[in-house]
Amino acid sequence: MDFSFFIMQLISGLTVATLLFLVASGLTLIFGVGDVFNFAHGSFYMIGAYLAFQMISVLQVNFWLGLVLSGLGAGLVGIVAEVFLLRRIYGRKHEAGFQILLTFCLILIIDDLVKIIWGTEYKTIQRPSGFTGPVQIGDLYIPSYNLLIIVVGIIVVVAAWWVLNKTRAGKIARAAAVDREMLGAMGINVPMTMTMVFGIATALGGFTGALAAPLRSVTPGAGVEVIIDSLIVVVIGGMGNFWGAWMGALLIGELTAFGIVIVPKWATLFSYLVMIIVLIFKPEGLFSPRKIRKV
Amino acid sequence: MHSKKRWICLIVAMFAFCVAPAGVSAADKLIKIGGLYPMTGRAGLYGKDSVAAAEIAINEINAKGGAAGYKIDATFNDSKVKAAYAIRVAKRYISEDKVNFLFGVVSSGVGLAVTEVSKQEKKIFIGTDHASTRLTVDNFQPYYFRVSNNTFQSMASGALYLQELKKTKPWKTIAFIGPDYSYGHSQFDEIKYSLERLGVEFKVVGEYWPKIYAPDYTSYITSILNDKPDVLVSGFWGGDTVAFIKQAQAFGLFNKMTYFHPDAGGNYELMSAMGDELPLGLILGARHYNNWPNTEQNKNFVKNFKALTGRYPTYAAEGAYAGIYAIAAAVEKVGNPDDTEALIKALEGLKIKLPEDPDGFTSYINPETHQMIQTQAIGVTVANKDFPPATRMLGNWKVYKAEDLVPPSDYIKMKRKK
Repeated sequence: MDFSFFIMQLISGLTVATLLFLVASGLTLIFGVGDVFNFAHGSFYMIGAYLAFQMISVLQVNFWLGLVLSGLGAGLVGIVAEVFLLRRIYGRKHEAGFQILLTFCLILIIDDLVKIIWGTEYKTIQRPSGFTGPVQIGDLYIPSYNLLIIVVGIIVVVAAWWVLNKTRAGKIARAAAVDREMLGAMGINVPMTMTMVFGIATALGGFTGALAAPLRSVTPGAGVEVIIDSLIVVVIGGMGNFWGAWMGALLIGELTAFGIVIVPKWATLFSYLVMIIVLIFKPEGLFSPRKIRKV
Repeated sequence: MHSKKRWICLIVAMFAFCVAPAGVSAADKLIKIGGLYPMTGRAGLYGKDSVAAAEIAINEINAKGGAAGYKIDATFNDSKVKAAYAIRVAKRYISEDKVNFLFGVVSSGVGLAVTEVSKQEKKIFIGTDHASTRLTVDNFQPYYFRVSNNTFQSMASGALYLQELKKTKPWKTIAFIGPDYSYGHSQFDEIKYSLERLGVEFKVVGEYWPKIYAPDYTSYITSILNDKPDVLVSGFWGGDTVAFIKQAQAFGLFNKMTYFHPDAGGNYELMSAMGDELPLGLILGARHYNNWPNTEQNKNFVKNFKALTGRYPTYAAEGAYAGIYAIAAAVEKVGNPDDTEALIKALEGLKIKLPEDPDGFTSYINPETHQMIQTQAIGVTVANKDFPPATRMLGNWKVYKAEDLVPPSDYIKMKRKK
């Protein structure tokens, strides 16, 4: 493996990892704060992709504005889902069956809604002007849009770190993850906090769907396709662990990128293997401190 | 309150009557067909198109009085692209709905499961789409028939194309990428087999097996670029093709190698989804084309489909259309839809003129494999705005004779022994 190919494969693994992380971050946020495993998170990714198609390809809205609006739109749908449905299952972790049932139903409902509105044909979005060609670095040609995705991923990581650690809203969210009752006793509107966290997480999912749409095909079922890999990432990183999700995504992205080169026939197996190993030896997640979680 | 409920019940009951299949009354003698197609996910488009085309065929046949005095009555259910689920539906079709034929299926994985039910229950299964050769060769059973091309035929024509290509664009190495299940693996084995059989020299420099429906191929693409094959043989279908081409284009892959995708690359949904973004000069094939052959029958089929659904058909539609006509022709010959053994004899060797048949050729079912034998064309993407929203269609056709694409008997024997 020569050096430039190594770098190329590293960067392509990074693109994959970034998109994985952006989906997984919302998933892990909802789990961390609300103790809900939102199976339907991928469906918000899909909503974001379809909204982006509607705005950018059909209504000819500016690409960047379209991205932001798609994220907001998906967040809005997320808030509606939270207020009417998910709010009822917080703190019922011991009845995990209900969570799976409810969020799985959401997948089916959203999938059918998308089919009714946009049909089953595949949709695509063109890459924005200025990001259609490659960037030359040395003798490497890297698609500029892929680089953009990586940069956006880093911005999201930094912004999320800042919000969660440096702002009052972030501290409230983290407090909600630890003890909702105590938070309520201190005069914080807990249901509102949960709704906002859910809205932000689903908006992030929708934004990712929109961001990925120019590189992928927008189809019904697109949500289910991303949720499994994101789930693996979340499990590896530790359920509810934001940084863990990032590290997990990097691990899976790069492992797959180099797995493809070294043992192409078994490349897709790696992520599952890592998950199994983590579940056996460190079930709380690779990047979670070893402690007993609060019940 | 009570009277309100009663009203609702009444309205529901009325609706139930209204949606009962039009044109078929209980007194009619019926050919019952149990159809299985995916209605969700990436394969949902093929399912919807197949059902629409089957209904066109059913209406055409029933309007002419049916087959041997029997009207066709088909029910369609979602296969969910899950083998276990499809098996349950197929068994229910047989035990409760008493169907005469099982019908449909897009995924080869589901097809391989349903063919087992067909074998156990001794019910004819008409496969209209799923392309893995295993159904007619390795896992062949007498109650199974397939009315559209399989991957062997596509790859045999693909090998002939590549052999010719050597004259104009000398190539030596190939890489393969395709989904990691029966369909993908069949294609890779068959293109190698057919090239070897023709004595074409080639070297495989890379093979890649992403999961079906994988959303991202970036890491595969960079690795393929590093392999530097002369020809990239692709075995994707549907949304996977769209995603792969979009991502590969960003890396300039199509300027660096010949992209060759003979089984499902030429599907119309790729053209309609990608518009101007679809690169020119890709070599693609499919099982049915909206713009080839240029016969009245094909033009009418495409026109009728457009009139019914408001969009142009994907290749899957014509397979379902062919399946219904094959059933009607067999029942016409036998005189009833109940004598399964006689229907098998009638289907073996059955000749049937289909929209995809060019002038002077009629599709027929090979008695040995129960596989429909058809002409295959392969084309190159060219600008063409006749079938919007597509702005590219295939052109510069190369057409291969049906007889040249059939697996030789020793190949079939070898596979069946395994």
